[in-house]
Amino acid sequence: MINNKAFKIILLSTALLLLVVCLSFARTDHREFKDVALSDCPVCHSSVGVIANHGDFFVKEHRLLAQKAGNNCADCHQQSFCLDCHKGGGIEPDLKKSLSTKGEYMPKTHRSDFISIHSIKAKDNPQNCYRCHESSFCQDCHTKIRNKGSMKIKSHRPAGTSQIYNWNSDHASEARRNLQSCESCHPDADVCIQCHSSGKVNPHPRNWKSIMNKYKNDSKGRTCRKCHITY
Amino acid sequence: MKGMNFFLILITLGMPLLTHAAEVKLTSSTQYLWYQDLLAVDREKSIQDFAQYLRVNVTNMDKEGKINFYAYGRAIKELWTDHDEDFQGRLYYFYLDYRDAFNEHLDLRAGRTFVNEAAVSGTIDGIHMDLKNLGPMGITFFGGRNVIFADKTETGTRGDGLIGMSVYLDTIKNTHVEVSYGRKYCEADGDSLLARENVGLDFSTTPISGMVNFYARLKYDTISESFNEMLFGAKVTPLQDLTLRGEYYESYPTFDTSSLYSVFAVDQYKEQSISAEYQLTSKYRISVKYAREDFSGNIGNSDSAIANVYDVGFLARPIKDLTINATYEIRSGYTDGLSGIRLYGEYKISKMALMAGIDYDDFRRYDSRDGNAEKYWAGVNYEFSKIITVSVKVEDDINFNYNNSYKGFVAININY
Repeated sequence: MINNKAFKIILLSTALLLLVVCLSFARTDHREFKDVALSDCPVCHSSVGVIANHGDFFVKEHRLLAQKAGNNCADCHQQSFCLDCHKGGGIEPDLKKSLSTKGEYMPKTHRSDFISIHSIKAKDNPQNCYRCHESSFCQDCHTKIRNKGSMKIKSHRPAGTSQIYNWNSDHASEARRNLQSCESCHPDADVCIQCHSSGKVNPHPRNWKSIMNKYKNDSKGRTCRKCHITY
Repeated sequence: MKGMNFFLILITLGMPLLTHAAEVKLTSSTQYLWYQDLLAVDREKSIQDFAQYLRVNVTNMDKEGKINFYAYGRAIKELWTDHDEDFQGRLYYFYLDYRDAFNEHLDLRAGRTFVNEAAVSGTIDGIHMDLKNLGPMGITFFGGRNVIFADKTETGTRGDGLIGMSVYLDTIKNTHVEVSYGRKYCEADGDSLLARENVGLDFSTTPISGMVNFYARLKYDTISESFNEMLFGAKVTPLQDLTLRGEYYESYPTFDTSSLYSVFAVDQYKEQSISAEYQLTSKYRISVKYAREDFSGNIGNSDSAIANVYDVGFLARPIKDLTINATYEIRSGYTDGLSGIRLYGEYKISKMALMAGIDYDDFRRYDSRDGNAEKYWAGVNYEFSKIITVSVKVEDDINFNYNNSYKGFVAININY
């Protein structure tokens, strides 16, 4: 984690860059190139100093361009183009897309049977899922699973043939690595409270003293009161 | 159904705006879909849905062509079901777009619209403004109710909100600097709480004409005082047909302040990746990528937790109208393994496009499940006329939940 000082340095550097006003650069309107084949893009781009995009890895890298203010995505794409992947739309049926178990169109990134492999793909950058899904999306399925024991989560497994679980030794490291997966089955963190509210094991991060009042104020004490009755 | 009522009312209210000889473009897709619900009481039962998508573009509403109106929504209903269920609706967007107003200094969107910036993104019922061409810089503002889609409908409440702004600079040629700020509010017990507050930073420059691009993206969570995401990368094109890329990425999970998980200590995720893309000839392209994923964190964990992920892709257009795409991915290390191939092809014959594909994944989930996930599919698009096309897709999934899970859709698409 980068501390507050580093953050201030970055902000100041940015402010300095903002002051360095040099040559005004007009963005090219791409509307007239809307129907041009992607393979023809280098005809212009190789000579104007802009590297062509929309290659094999564009599914992953497009976020960087689309989140820039003043981007020119809208010169060729309507908002429905974004929402048909990010929000399950389907105005232009794409044969490469599959239906989810709820009958919603899934983006092409959701390969084979995505339920079988989703826990693996979610590990490849855990933030990816949350670009489209609310945390409640996971809970909608995980809280309905009738036989949760069959899921065999690593730290929930019995140690050998005994009745002792790997929980105590493993759960801290596993939770810290992927706390979002805990939230999928335990949305209210009720199982966490059972031990951590006693005060014997402090679950807070190292910088807790400097940030605790923000959580208290922003949640109006609701989050704190789940463990600390006096807040 | 609330969304659909809202949609229809706004369309009615919007009609008087058509005072100029505006151009209206309607796109409709009427669909019949079938699938199986894994969590249903009878998971083998085939569920059938009827869906109607509608997109309306009204452009050139004024003489200068600066005012436009865009709307997109969906109504869906499960067919032949025991429970009495009405249509469910989603309004994806519905906004008035005023481009290049005030001597090309303002782009304005008002209504339901998708907003997307480094600090925060989502769909809002509100306003998005881009004050541009202010010398070399621009400023964006947006704010409104946060529209949350879930389970075929909308769940956002009055207390859910998104606000944000950004300042950006396009001064030095091919250089973009942007600082963005965003807040997300959520409703809890009738109160609207500040759920998240982020600051984003974007930087991109191409200093050597068309050859090297450096970029960075930072997302700082001001409540947890941590960087939620950091990305630094470089993209190089030493040859016209070769693109190389290297990236360093790290993330730190953050949660809404209303969630108890927000107060727990977590570890960073780090990833280093390199990739290459080469256009062998005009007909063939190959790509490779390697990513090293590090889950070890830097606090409290003494054991290392590393995964290695390799991707190879191949695109071929050996003859006119035939496209073949194949990718292979292999993942090993912490804590799961995956080895999978994905193959599909497309062939165009006159007004028809035939497509078919196979996904085959061999996976190992740590101490849990392992096996194969297979998908076989085929489909066709047929263009009856410039206005009407029909799409049909059938798919069979074979996995640990189903010996055969059949799903697909038939869609009649109209572009008018």
